Amino acid sequence: MPVLRNMTVKYKLVLIIMLACITALVLAGAAFIGWERRVFRNNMVQLVSVQAEMIAENCKAALAFHDAEDAKKTLSALHVEPSIVFGGVYTEDNKLFAAYYRDSAARDVHPDEFQESGFSFDDGFLSVFRPVVLGGEVIGRVCLRSDMSPMYAMLKRNTSIIIAVLLFSSFVAFLMSSRLQNVISRPILSLAEVAKAVSEEKDYSTRAVKHSNDEIGLLIDAFNEMLEQIQRRDVELVDAKEKLEVRVEERTAELTTANEQLTQEIAVRKKVEEQLRKAEEKYRTQFEGALDAIVVADVETGIIIDCNPATTRLVGREKSELVGKHQRILHPPEKVEGEFSKTFKQHLKEKQGQSLETEVITKTGERIDVAITASLIEIGGRKVLQGIFRDITENKRAEQRQAQLLKQMEKTNQELKDFAYIVSHDLKAPLRGINTLANWISTDYADKLDDDGREQMHLLVNRVDRMHNLIDGILQYSRVGRVKEEKVVVNLNELVSEVIDMLAPPESISITVENKLPTIECEQTHIIQVFQNLLSNAIKYMDKPDGWIKIGCIEENGFWKFSVADNGPGIEEKYFEKIFQIFQTLTRRDELESTGIGLSLVRKIVEAYDGKVWVESKPGEGSTFFFTLPKQEIGVKYEKLEANIVS
Amino acid sequence: MAAIAPRARADSTSSREYQVKAAFLYNFIQFVDWPEEKLADSNESIIIGIIGRDPFGNAFESVKDKKVKGRDVVIKRFKSFEELEKSTEKDKTKSDQEIETLTKCHLLFICSSERRNLKKIINTVKDYDVLTVSEMKGFLEAGGIINWFVEEKKLRFEINITAAERAKLKIRSKLLRLAKRIVEENTTRENKGAESSWKARRTNYACFAKYDSKI
Repeated sequence: MPVLRNMTVKYKLVLIIMLACITALVLAGAAFIGWERRVFRNNMVQLVSVQAEMIAENCKAALAFHDAEDAKKTLSALHVEPSIVFGGVYTEDNKLFAAYYRDSAARDVHPDEFQESGFSFDDGFLSVFRPVVLGGEVIGRVCLRSDMSPMYAMLKRNTSIIIAVLLFSSFVAFLMSSRLQNVISRPILSLAEVAKAVSEEKDYSTRAVKHSNDEIGLLIDAFNEMLEQIQRRDVELVDAKEKLEVRVEERTAELTTANEQLTQEIAVRKKVEEQLRKAEEKYRTQFEGALDAIVVADVETGIIIDCNPATTRLVGREKSELVGKHQRILHPPEKVEGEFSKTFKQHLKEKQGQSLETEVITKTGERIDVAITASLIEIGGRKVLQGIFRDITENKRAEQRQAQLLKQMEKTNQELKDFAYIVSHDLKAPLRGINTLANWISTDYADKLDDDGREQMHLLVNRVDRMHNLIDGILQYSRVGRVKEEKVVVNLNELVSEVIDMLAPPESISITVENKLPTIECEQTHIIQVFQNLLSNAIKYMDKPDGWIKIGCIEENGFWKFSVADNGPGIEEKYFEKIFQIFQTLTRRDELESTGIGLSLVRKIVEAYDGKVWVESKPGEGSTFFFTLPKQEIGVKYEKLEANIVS
Repeated sequence: MAAIAPRARADSTSSREYQVKAAFLYNFIQFVDWPEEKLADSNESIIIGIIGRDPFGNAFESVKDKKVKGRDVVIKRFKSFEELEKSTEKDKTKSDQEIETLTKCHLLFICSSERRNLKKIINTVKDYDVLTVSEMKGFLEAGGIINWFVEEKKLRFEINITAAERAKLKIRSKLLRLAKRIVEENTTRENKGAESSWKARRTNYACFAKYDSKI
């Protein structure tokens, strides 16, 4: 019961003691009373039995001789005992023989009530039965009935006394226990107070005072020990808390960063997904809208999965007629090797990303030349072969035409070459003749000629030489572009220094290479000619005593930009373009011998390489010739490019 | 006690009367002490003799198996004294035996038919410690010890204590108390029951002393 549980220790102790005492007293009292009653009753029974016995004895003769009056007289002696209300003598057949009644209220005992045991209690009366025995035989019975009320009254009185004593003792016990419970409860209460104080004020340095050496003392010791530990732990806890806070902050920062990263990643992911979606859309659009037929087939089975409208235009079959069919339906029968078409197989094997020329067959049986570019791609997690079919009929025709034209061109070229050869030879022949003749004349008839004459002969020879050079120049010019050499890797540094050596510039001119020149892949002769011409021009036209020529190279926009700069006479702007034309010279040929084809050759060569050549100059301050060559990555493998397409 | 229909001549009431008397005889024995020589052997039976015309019939049937004072009871019937005398003349031995048997009785009931022989009978047994009982008038005067009579429809008895003393018989006070009349030879008194005579009391102190609750 909560009431009991929540009582104070003091009350509990008193209650316990009181309960014990009262229980003991009540038990004792009850036992006493019970015992008294029992004894009393027994005594009563004994007493009345004796009386009955005596009556029986004295009534023997009366019964034996049927003298009721005598019996009655004997019975009347009972009046001495006031508690006996009835006394009766019965014959052996249980007839009332003689009786004594104390007063009118008394009643006799019916023979049915006779008890074997000799007595019975009922209604506050004790009935005692005794046989009248004569000569070993029961000749009758005596029954005495005694009023128990006096006895009960006495018992009651005794009980009252006992109860009074009980109450008094309880009261005394209560007083004593109230005082003595302090021995137990006070140390407990003081401990409880200390505990309360500690828990309220959180002051773990307080300790309880030990009074006694019993279990309570032990409790107090243990309590103090606990406080000790708590105090220590408290300190540790504060410590740990601080450390924890620091860690929490750190962790929060980490988490925040991670969170941000995550958010970013998500944003990126979203973007990527968006891009992917867009890419797929784009693909779809391109697929549908492509001019070329695109067919997607399963790699394993060769079954067409998808095709675009262009396919329908190409082979005359609707998408529904193609999807689900094997891709060999697209090709003429002889192109089909086994399960798959030759092209399919080839594409699978080697020629991915490359174009394969073959034929397709339309619904109507018409054959069309196509170029198929196939690649292995992944659509929806599935490896498929995507083939792009381009109708190359036109191409083919163009090719044919081209082939024709080429053939024609070659023929023309050859004719030209022959022509040039013939021309040069044939033209040169008479020149040689003229030259020889002129030399003969000048030597043979030197004495016959005057100064003018010799001068003229000199001029003649000069002109012949010029013609010779011109013819050579033309030949050279024409050769460029026709004669194909092998492209080689050329280290320009080496090449340029060779060219410089070959040109053997005078000591007044210094030629320097400003920076390291690259290594390029080209026809060696061409590049030699370029540098040769530029440098020889610079040397030739140098008009200063301290001449310098600077050769440099920089990278610009994917081109090598070479520069040949000199401090020569310079060039007027109006001639910037003219000088590159064939046979054009800036100075009269009389002043400076020049074929006039050097720069035009350079232009031709450079432009053949997709480069450009121009000049920047100020008259009197020298000129700088620039030419560009596309930057090549030497050693690029085309296989790498292919790989990109496949993956 | 179931009344057994007697084969006696008496009618039912008288047979019942004699049943009661039979019981009384037994009871008398209870309240009378014989001297030691009369009841020496503990196994010895008590002999009730009936002399004369037996009025009991088979009244003893109901009580014949009862033991008195722990002893069996034997009923001996004797013809009239005259016949005894007659037989004495014829056969002395037999009559001697008869008389001997007579004297051996502890209690002798003398029937009223033997009125004339009363004195003679009493004389015969007077030295033999016999309790004589009868139901005739003047029995006590003749020397008898207990005599029955009917008063107010009730069966009463009277006792001659001198005769009892003479027969060396001690009669318990309880019995004496109940007697209607006590005769002391030379005096007669009315017995007032419980307020019995000093003498009676004195005589029976010994009885009290011998009070045995088992009786």
